[in-house]
Amino acid sequence: MMKEGVIITKINIKRQGERKHFQIKLPNDTKFIIGVEYGGRLISKSDVVKFAAAEIAAPPIKSPVLETWHTAIDTVVVGERSKGLFKRNQLVGELKLQSSEESNWFYSTDVFVADANLSYGDFSNAGFKVNDFTHGNKRTEEFVKVDAESTIIQGWYLDALGKSQKVDINYEVTIYVWINVEE
Amino acid sequence: MLKATKKRFDIKITQANSTVSDTFELDKNIVKVHGVLVTSDKDDLLYYRGTQKIEINKEEFFPDNYESKLLMSGINVAPKQRYYDLGGVSPGNGRVQIVYKDLDDGRTVFTAYRVSLYLDCEMEDEL
Repeated sequence: MMKEGVIITKINIKRQGERKHFQIKLPNDTKFIIGVEYGGRLISKSDVVKFAAAEIAAPPIKSPVLETWHTAIDTVVVGERSKGLFKRNQLVGELKLQSSEESNWFYSTDVFVADANLSYGDFSNAGFKVNDFTHGNKRTEEFVKVDAESTIIQGWYLDALGKSQKVDINYEVTIYVWINVEE
Repeated sequence: MLKATKKRFDIKITQANSTVSDTFELDKNIVKVHGVLVTSDKDDLLYYRGTQKIEINKEEFFPDNYESKLLMSGINVAPKQRYYDLGGVSPGNGRVQIVYKDLDDGRTVFTAYRVSLYLDCEMEDEL
């Protein structure tokens, strides 16, 4: 019988434009990789605060965008606002995964942490403040189907957040690899 | 006859960067667990800071460090679709364990909060 499981891998990014190569070890009885999803967490705010302070002195530099503009608790402000109503989502990085058995990446994605235009989905204007944690969609993994007999996944991650803001931001990207295991 | 029922279990997080573990017992007449959902009275803290492990009948369904935000559903999700689908798990001994870990995140300030674990279950009407 097949059973589902998930393998969690964390990547810690500290420097702007940092590129990380990593491996994800799967259990020996893994048959297939069936899905991939990701999450993220800001570890150090100090850099962000420092940068926000630096922005006052030097206005042309954009401040890092980590969440949507409507999150009151964020000390981070949206830097790059378009002139129109809608705002561009902040790209955090690029993530690619490769199976050891087949050539080419089997998974490649741009990593975003939040939908900057989430509030435009609510036309009720009821005064219920729109946040990711109140109005967010249910998250599900992206489905893939890859043989996993060699039990090693090669991974590659490239920071875009720090690079675009020209500041070192310490954050963590968590990668969830869903697998099918033979019982 | 089988009927659907929802169960809620709460844990309190009173210290930043702490791990809280608790085990709950399901009713004996529950025959299947269909879905799981986590919420909180301060959902921003749960969303940004929370990770958890969930076991049912000593079987691990979500491992350590599985982010809570992946098991949350906002009000934009239809009520009938809010639970994470487990596909009808047998509850076995009926013990549900949650090991919740709170971790500092640059965007939040800690204050004590509650984490609620909801289970979408199917139970026998009469034993």
